[in-house]
Amino acid sequence: MTGVHAPGFPEAAVRARARHGTAEVFPAADGYGQRLFGAGGEDVPEPTDDLDAARLVPPVFMPQRLEKLIDLAREPIHDDVELTTTIGGFRSPLPVYVSAFGSTRIAAGDAGLATSRQAGRLGIPMVIGENLVPVGGYRRAAGSESPILARLRAYAAECPPQLGGVVVQQSTEDADSEVWNLVYSDPSVRELVESGRLAFELKTGQGAKPGLGGMTVVDAADAARLADRFAVRDVLGDGGWLRCATPGTFTEEILRQQVRFMRNNFPRARVWVKFHPGRDVGHAAATAWQAGADAVTVDGAQGGTGWAPRAFLGQVGLPLGECLRRIGTPTGCLLASGRIWEGGRAVKALAAGATAVGLGRAALLAVDTDAEHGLVRLVEALALEARLLVSALGRYTAAALTPDDLWWPGSPATTAVPTLDTIGGRA
Amino acid sequence: MPTTDHPAPAAPTPPPLGEHLVAPTTRAAMAVQQEALYAARRYLRGQGFTELLPPLVGPVTDPGGRGAKALDVDYYGHPYKLMTSAILYKQASLRGFPKLFYIAPNVRVEPPETAGTGRHLVEFHQIDVEIADATRDDAMDVAAGLLTEVTRHVLDTVPDVLADLGRDPLAFTELLTGKFDVCTHAEAVDRLRGGGHPQSADAEIDWVGEETLSREADRPFFVTDYPKGSRGFYDREDPERPGTLRNFDLIAHGGYGELVSGSERESHYATIVTRMRESGENPAKYDWYLKAAREGIPASAGFGMGVQRLVRFLTGLDALWQVSAYPKLPGVVAP
Repeated sequence: MTGVHAPGFPEAAVRARARHGTAEVFPAADGYGQRLFGAGGEDVPEPTDDLDAARLVPPVFMPQRLEKLIDLAREPIHDDVELTTTIGGFRSPLPVYVSAFGSTRIAAGDAGLATSRQAGRLGIPMVIGENLVPVGGYRRAAGSESPILARLRAYAAECPPQLGGVVVQQSTEDADSEVWNLVYSDPSVRELVESGRLAFELKTGQGAKPGLGGMTVVDAADAARLADRFAVRDVLGDGGWLRCATPGTFTEEILRQQVRFMRNNFPRARVWVKFHPGRDVGHAAATAWQAGADAVTVDGAQGGTGWAPRAFLGQVGLPLGECLRRIGTPTGCLLASGRIWEGGRAVKALAAGATAVGLGRAALLAVDTDAEHGLVRLVEALALEARLLVSALGRYTAAALTPDDLWWPGSPATTAVPTLDTIGGRA
Repeated sequence: MPTTDHPAPAAPTPPPLGEHLVAPTTRAAMAVQQEALYAARRYLRGQGFTELLPPLVGPVTDPGGRGAKALDVDYYGHPYKLMTSAILYKQASLRGFPKLFYIAPNVRVEPPETAGTGRHLVEFHQIDVEIADATRDDAMDVAAGLLTEVTRHVLDTVPDVLADLGRDPLAFTELLTGKFDVCTHAEAVDRLRGGGHPQSADAEIDWVGEETLSREADRPFFVTDYPKGSRGFYDREDPERPGTLRNFDLIAHGGYGELVSGSERESHYATIVTRMRESGENPAKYDWYLKAAREGIPASAGFGMGVQRLVRFLTGLDALWQVSAYPKLPGVVAP
């Protein structure tokens, strides 16, 4: 551990999973036979937003379970849930990817590398965040690697062929550095490009500070070094300087054209677009899919790895569940991130329309706990939990989840009555 | 030589530079290039154009497309770029020189997969033309006249060189009439899709599509009205038809593909800034150019004609590297 901490985030539970993996999906086994359970208590985290408050609601009658039973010729169990999916054009064994964390001090060093290695081993897609190149450079002298190239290579070295993929984000300052061009034409990345496992993500915002650009804290020397590329402001007293990236200006037409520009200029890379939890996120997502984006990520207002003003963390942006409701039935691949670390919130997001969920802070804490296995164990626990929950809903793929699987407290019953199925029945 | 009974090798590559410089084909190509440049200068000067020498480095250059990137140079501690195209300087220069041209060297670090197209080099030259207060039709007329005049001159002055290369002068018969067909990008897309080629309606005509169209023609032809998003921010959007650009390519017949790209240019400051954003650019990077645009740059139209592509078309040689004295193929590090 490096002293990283995440107040307001279930840090202890994430670290426990990073250490013990699937054992943490259940209460401690040594309490078995003595401990009785009830609602509330330590096993039920306090809800922080609407998605936490929503409940997964298994029905009694499960025609899809009958289909699975017929298929298997035995009663299905949670192991029979197939979680393999396609995320923004990449094959992934799980509906999970690693979200971006950019050039912050926490993410830029060993944690970024450890995450890359473990995400590669898992074969799940990984997003490399913004501003690594303007801050850390691209190609350095022989014998040392830039942060972005080191992450790309670490991922590619561990990832099984035909699985996963790397997504390189770009914001305004990255455009100055021509990050996408550098990556796309780099011979050391060619294998990812040729196997269709490279994507570029157009970053239009982030959940922790909707409407603002990236912010990090730097010392005076770095502030001077970065002043020609970023706004650096002396507003933190003796604590350091605030380095501000611009958020970028977007209109519907600018977004549409930028997606087309990406598709036309990098035809062998997938196109991802990331939105902050803005009030028009549904319109924005539809615009991106219509322009040809392979994936749209919505980042709920639940925090991040960067530095955010206090007012934003508590008071700005839609909660993730409301974002998903405003998007409605997605017309393309929808990815959701924001406070995802365990199966419950992940499955709720999938039921609300997401194709996959992103791990941000949870991934950082996991690799901080165990640089070799922490993220792998955390994801294995999440996957087991997801299988248990999805099968409890009578579904056997993540894509089969629907909003009917969710109940929002206070909302009237809307669950559709399943139509009688002729398979194995007498209807 | 592209004869039907002697097919070209799939992906010929340049020999060592010393061998290449003394190869008969290189000497022949340079003889054609010299006459082509002579004729181009004579033609343009005859039309009232002034030749300027282009800048080589600047804080920004044409952002380009299709994965080509600029090379950075350290300019007194500032990251400058070698010109991929001097289009921005052409526009700015119109205030002093309303009809101008360059024979401009360009450097584009093309993606390695373009090494096999036979039509891409990292270093190449353009006959870069810009005309103040001109329309697209004006620019197309100049491009057509330039190609016709250069071809006629080369046929007149070095017919023996072309004959030695196996280039049949009859290939240029239709061209010499000077009357080129025009089809829109949408029509080109329809034709390609009709032939089973999956051409995107939002993008540049891809290389396979361009070659297909080029092979089907018996004289050069224009493709106009590319969709916004397929070209740079400086190509003017048609005010009457949003989403469509007032631009053009001139495609050679016989499979040689694009020789010229041109357009009416955007000169309205606020539109330029907006269009920069649409192509993912940070306007702050283009500080000097936007200052010039705020002060007012003339409306214009212009084009760039690739010198090596032109000479390859005239000589009929298989690959672009054969008509460059110092060829640098994409992805291949060469002296």
